[in-house]
Amino acid sequence: MRFFNMRDWTLARREAAAGYMYVAPWVVGFLLLTVGPMLASLYFSFTDYDIVSSPRWIGIQNYTQLFQDPLFWKSLQVTLYFAILSLPSSLVTGFFLAVLLNQNVRGIRIWRTIYFLPSVLSGVAVTLVWITMFNPQVGVVNQILEILGFKGPSWLSDPDWALPALAIMALWGVGQNMIIYLAGLQSVPQDMYDAAKVDGANAWQSFRSITIPMMSPVLFYNLVLGLIGTFSYFTQVYIASSSVSGASRELGGPARSTLFYNLYLFQNAFRYGRMGYASAMAWILFIIVLILTALIFKSSSMWVYYEGELRSKSE
Amino acid sequence: MTRRFGWIAVLIVCLISLVAAPALAQEKVKVTIFVGLGTGTDPDQIPKQEALAEKFNSTHDTIEIEFLIVPNTESRTRLQAMLTGDSAPQLVGPNGISTIAAFFESWEDITPYIEAENFDTSDFYETSLELNKYPTINTGLPLGLFPSFVLYNKDIFDAAGVDYPTSDYADTSWTLDDLKARAMLMSLDSAGNDATSPDFDAEDMVQWGYSDAWTDGRGSLTMFGAPDVGRPTTADYKTATANSEEWVYGLQWLSDGIWKDHFIPNNEQSASIEATGAAPFDSGLLGMFYTHTWYLGEGLNDVPFEWDVAPLPFNQKGQRIARIHADNFTIPKIAQHKQEAWEVMKWLTAPEQIVEVCLIYGCVPARESAAETFRAALQEKFPDMNMDVVFEAINYLDSPNHESWVPEWGRVGDAVGFAWSQIGTGENTDAKAVLDQTNTEIQQILDEYWASHSS
Repeated sequence: MRFFNMRDWTLARREAAAGYMYVAPWVVGFLLLTVGPMLASLYFSFTDYDIVSSPRWIGIQNYTQLFQDPLFWKSLQVTLYFAILSLPSSLVTGFFLAVLLNQNVRGIRIWRTIYFLPSVLSGVAVTLVWITMFNPQVGVVNQILEILGFKGPSWLSDPDWALPALAIMALWGVGQNMIIYLAGLQSVPQDMYDAAKVDGANAWQSFRSITIPMMSPVLFYNLVLGLIGTFSYFTQVYIASSSVSGASRELGGPARSTLFYNLYLFQNAFRYGRMGYASAMAWILFIIVLILTALIFKSSSMWVYYEGELRSKSE
Repeated sequence: MTRRFGWIAVLIVCLISLVAAPALAQEKVKVTIFVGLGTGTDPDQIPKQEALAEKFNSTHDTIEIEFLIVPNTESRTRLQAMLTGDSAPQLVGPNGISTIAAFFESWEDITPYIEAENFDTSDFYETSLELNKYPTINTGLPLGLFPSFVLYNKDIFDAAGVDYPTSDYADTSWTLDDLKARAMLMSLDSAGNDATSPDFDAEDMVQWGYSDAWTDGRGSLTMFGAPDVGRPTTADYKTATANSEEWVYGLQWLSDGIWKDHFIPNNEQSASIEATGAAPFDSGLLGMFYTHTWYLGEGLNDVPFEWDVAPLPFNQKGQRIARIHADNFTIPKIAQHKQEAWEVMKWLTAPEQIVEVCLIYGCVPARESAAETFRAALQEKFPDMNMDVVFEAINYLDSPNHESWVPEWGRVGDAVGFAWSQIGTGENTDAKAVLDQTNTEIQQILDEYWASHSS
């Protein structure tokens, strides 16, 4: 009973208790809604589980079968190809837009709003609009290309162009990256640029030697989030390939060219009723993302510049 | 004293009413009917289903029904979530053979319900009863059949100077080659050249002679008469037969139809046809469209052209194999009110309702006694349509059916779909190579299945 008499507690202890109480809702939610399902999926990954019947323990069979499954490798290949296409372009475009929108020009707030606005619109609605825009015969994209003298490809109907089309579509949400870059750019001290100017640096030299190093933590942050986002890419490709009717309808189509890892996982779980297999896929994905993120963290010491760290080292 | 008792009595009656009224209201068991896995989601169909629910609810004291309309693209996931989340609907339907196969383990066997009341099924077509029966389960009372036929656009035929296809099932001159020859004359580029013209520009097409776009890979190959017809495995489900001679012939016929003879739209062109916002045949861009009676419930709404129906042509082996779909309503095993669901199932398929229900969903009633009523009602809706063509197609149904269950039904279907996708996109136009690859993939799936189900 004495333990609960808070009047006897030290201030530090009372503060700690209050802190725990404040975080308790989140911690409980995290344990019940995230850790719980994660542990359940870890268990299911070692079972033959079709949702309707009870899970049957099969050891590591799902994992061994995965590595022999050509579609598992195909889905990994598609996802990595998309990451190579999409990640650099969204990072560079976001950064470029942020630099443009960091200029002191008239109506800049309106421009910032215009460029940020698309990223808050719903993924499903936007995807449906893009599907229409990419329609090879009646879509606006090919009509513009035709005006410019180019014959546009079949985009989402062409196995060679479907992934690039999705990568272009992904640029629609670049406003999220842009706004983070913009916040970073505005925190770069002006006196650095002034000092560089005094030393005779031109605009490009200032950008290369001040802006980029000072923005590297933000670039790092967007890179990590972008990588995770790429590996969890699902909604757009699901909508794009399921909005087609009849024989042409093929999740991950055309001709499996957009069979993303998450889409194949979804198919296994909800179309084929292989929940155990899908759980194993989820854990493999978790490990892949974990390793890639760890590699990026490891490499960050070579290219990410933290002003505070440098100061503390010099002190 | 008496007055006080009077007030107390009134108070007690009020209290009882307050407590009992909701309880009495709750006595009406709600049977939710999950719609979306097949037909039933078209905007025109929704008010008709609501009217049907109203009709049921106004004539039943203990059960009320409600149609839960779910968009087709999300219906499978939603049903799966409901089945796993203990919130199963009481009835699901109308279900095609494919839906039953996809959720095979989820359905209640209705045999005990039939036996318990000695329910008379003799009025149902034998074919429709058989399509619902599996060795271990009877999935539901038949609702309707969806025979298939070729819809043709008379205006396009007239403009091309091509004779209409026959309506006579005995006319052996109506073959796939004949269909191809006519279809090529109706396939036009933007300059008006047809597919037989040396000036024809296949890159700039605006009209196509034939399409079978609203089916899946298995469905598109069924008509070519393989020994296993619409099933890509042997009868024991242990050996893949997707690269049968007939399927290779059929897929090559389709491939050539798209890429060589240019009378069938490829995937890109099909997407463009659908981008008009109309159902494929309603777009007015197709001379012929092979489809089922469910199209009568979904399409053909005030189309600005004349049309009629023709039988599916004879295939390269001189056979006619016309796909069929069959619909029923099923009760999920984990439904809470199965007995009430059974009552609703009986009502929906009863002679008094079945015509009305089938007119909503576009199926031919599975009850023989309803045939004439349905025929008259359909003729009223489509006065110029040749009804004999529709009804006679039932005699040429595909068995084993192209939607029938096979082990790992979804994976096998997707493997055949991938074959079709390669052809439809032009990724690989060699049908033999494509189907050899498909056969290997299906065999691997079957081997995996039997390895884990051998005991």
